[in-house]
Amino acid sequence: MLELRLVQGSLLKKVLESIKDLVNDANFDCSATGFSLQAMDSSHVALVALLLRSEGFEHYRCDRNISMGMNLGNMSKMLKCAGNDDIITIKADDGSDTVTFMFESPNQDKIADFEMKLMDIDSEHLGIPEAEYQAIVRMPSAEFARICKDLSSIGDTVVISVTKEGVKFSTQGDIGTANIVCRQNTTVDKPEEATVIEMQQPVSLTFALRYMNSFTKATPLSNTVTISLSTELPVVVEYKIAEMGYIRFYLAPKIEEDDEETKPQV
Amino acid sequence: MSSAGTLDILSETQALVSDKLQVVSYKWASRNFSVSSNDAKRMLQELVEQHGSDLKVVYVLSGWLKKSPPAYHITLTTALKLSEVKNEFEDNCSIQIYSVQECIPKDPVTLWNYELVQAEELFDQPATEENCLRDNRFCGVSNSFVKRNATGPSPIVAPPQTKNIGTITSSKSSTAPTTPVIQHQLHGKVQQPSPLTGVSTAALSSTVKRETSNSEAKDQDGKSSADEGQATSVPGYKKNAQAEKSSSATGSLSNLWNRASAKAKPSPPAETMAPNLTDTADAQIHAHEATGATGSDDEASDINYKRSSNGGSRKRRVVIDFSDEENDEDAVNLASPDPPKRKSSQDSDHRITDSDVQKSKVNLATHKEDQQKIKVEEKTEKEPSPSSKEDQTVRDKSKSSGISLSVKTPSLIPEDGANQMCKVNEASSNSPKRRKVLKTRIDDRGREVTEVVWEGEEVQNINTDERSTIIDASTKRPPAVKKSPALPSNAPSNPVGKAGSKKTGKTAGAKDPKQGNILSFFKKV
Repeated sequence: MLELRLVQGSLLKKVLESIKDLVNDANFDCSATGFSLQAMDSSHVALVALLLRSEGFEHYRCDRNISMGMNLGNMSKMLKCAGNDDIITIKADDGSDTVTFMFESPNQDKIADFEMKLMDIDSEHLGIPEAEYQAIVRMPSAEFARICKDLSSIGDTVVISVTKEGVKFSTQGDIGTANIVCRQNTTVDKPEEATVIEMQQPVSLTFALRYMNSFTKATPLSNTVTISLSTELPVVVEYKIAEMGYIRFYLAPKIEEDDEETKPQV
Repeated sequence: MSSAGTLDILSETQALVSDKLQVVSYKWASRNFSVSSNDAKRMLQELVEQHGSDLKVVYVLSGWLKKSPPAYHITLTTALKLSEVKNEFEDNCSIQIYSVQECIPKDPVTLWNYELVQAEELFDQPATEENCLRDNRFCGVSNSFVKRNATGPSPIVAPPQTKNIGTITSSKSSTAPTTPVIQHQLHGKVQQPSPLTGVSTAALSSTVKRETSNSEAKDQDGKSSADEGQATSVPGYKKNAQAEKSSSATGSLSNLWNRASAKAKPSPPAETMAPNLTDTADAQIHAHEATGATGSDDEASDINYKRSSNGGSRKRRVVIDFSDEENDEDAVNLASPDPPKRKSSQDSDHRITDSDVQKSKVNLATHKEDQQKIKVEEKTEKEPSPSSKEDQTVRDKSKSSGISLSVKTPSLIPEDGANQMCKVNEASSNSPKRRKVLKTRIDDRGREVTEVVWEGEEVQNINTDERSTIIDASTKRPPAVKKSPALPSNAPSNPVGKAGSKKTGKTAGAKDPKQGNILSFFKKV
């Protein structure tokens, strides 16, 4: 028996919007700690990890760990039927092959039940080790989304270089090149507008903008985004979900053999 | 019907219900054993009297409702609710056994699915073939204007848009909008307003209908004589189409799994439905042949071909069996021997599952490279083959709720744990040569899955062996993928193909060779 009541239903809608284009089918794992998902995109270049902690739900009941395979496109279709203010309850019975989404309008005058069929998905669960990243950049998520969008109109890949001065996003394409530098800026009125760079050592990595752009679909979930980079590791683009958890996107870097400029300037 | 024959049929039906977990309705029995439906009902009655405690019975009540205006009503009900439902009827309602089964199915579709498959098979026989449906042998109602045109083209009927899923209790009011359609389908059979014909028509359409006036029926008779003998077959076809629709619309687990696989792997669409249908269909064909109702050589070979191809496409049903032959010897035997008459059908069943088992073995072989890494997992998998362990797992199962225990039965619905338990227990009385073996594994979703599979002699495997190899080759992951030991050892073989086709299906070719793979950073757990 599983029953998760999420007062802020829009949050789940946003989560789905952010991952449905990246991953088609995924297993949602429910345990006592929370509602989580880990899935790779079909080409195994990116990985998305979602966690919604049980504390974030108004009511969280999960008798035993279950894994529910869902087609995210279909799930998104159903969640689109929920209003932004609706309370969403996810229900599933043990051994059942369906999951039920219940949408309650804020004043309780409308209750909708959507039952979705589950799928059998062979999950390829990856162990993600805790790692110290060489550089961690926190910046306004909208800013990051804007940068990725802009750069993708010029080139296909982005080189993210973090130095003491700031973080540089650069690309080059047929029409020319583009460089966007964001400096550390902590003297802002609102903390979420700050750009904070924590750097152990300079790092520079190349990524496919296509994936970066797809990650930025999670922008509505959080005002800030945290980008963690390490030379030997995939970049982590993390959007914190207020009081609930996070959605993290991992993207394998592009391997640059002879491009001197993209080598970390140690 | 001689008493000896009845005994035969009785024991056979008993075996069907308790071992094959089939729903045996009087219609099914009537066609299968070539007895009239009244005889079939009596036979089921007898069966219930003998083995009433082991069986669950669905009754059909027909009669006039007490409420006014009086309406003729036919309803199916379980034994538990019988008296309750009976109170709604006038005193002189008829109560007959509709079907017997091991347990009341969750999804009413199951009740008539076997009939549907059977009817489908009967109509699928060559047009020149006589069978009990074509010549209207057991129907109490006949229309002298309708002649069977054996050589004529087979009718093509568009599937009706009605959703007349056979419900356990269907009320007149709820089906009212659909009745015209049904009346039209069944125009030849609705002339007498006797309860008995009511039953048969209701059964045919799996819904409840009002008696039509004679005049209307006559009207349609005139029309129907135009389309000759096709008239009789029309209801069956319609029903088939309907049933196919409705049964595919039910959210059975197998269905969903099918959808999941069909999505990623386009090659065998509607896998689950088809094998399930044909599985039982084959059985029924054979039963039918055995009773001597039909059977030219041509036809037999046709069927054989069909069966084997079905066996090949049943990827979804693959049972991963990491134990090898010796271990199999230790496995638990589950089924009681079938009565001799059913041998042929059992054979078909057996072959299919054999191919599955075989396939999983072959599949295992293809993963040899991966095995180094997954050996640890595999060891844990191998363990449960000795019988004591098996039993243990079964017992464990009963304790924890919600473990999906998919017994390999033709049944299309997922059963609840209790039902499965009773099946497993039932199945544990045993047979010597070919036997059912209980296989337990943890599937990739972390659930314990137990399946009952047929274990048989090597000879049977040989011809399926080749086929499964071919299949395996087609579902094998492309070499590029192989370096990642993506699959846990216990994953069903189907997802292997899925993963492979998924990867190749996406724009992998267009992918940048410089793009790193996330799998080279994170290890699978």
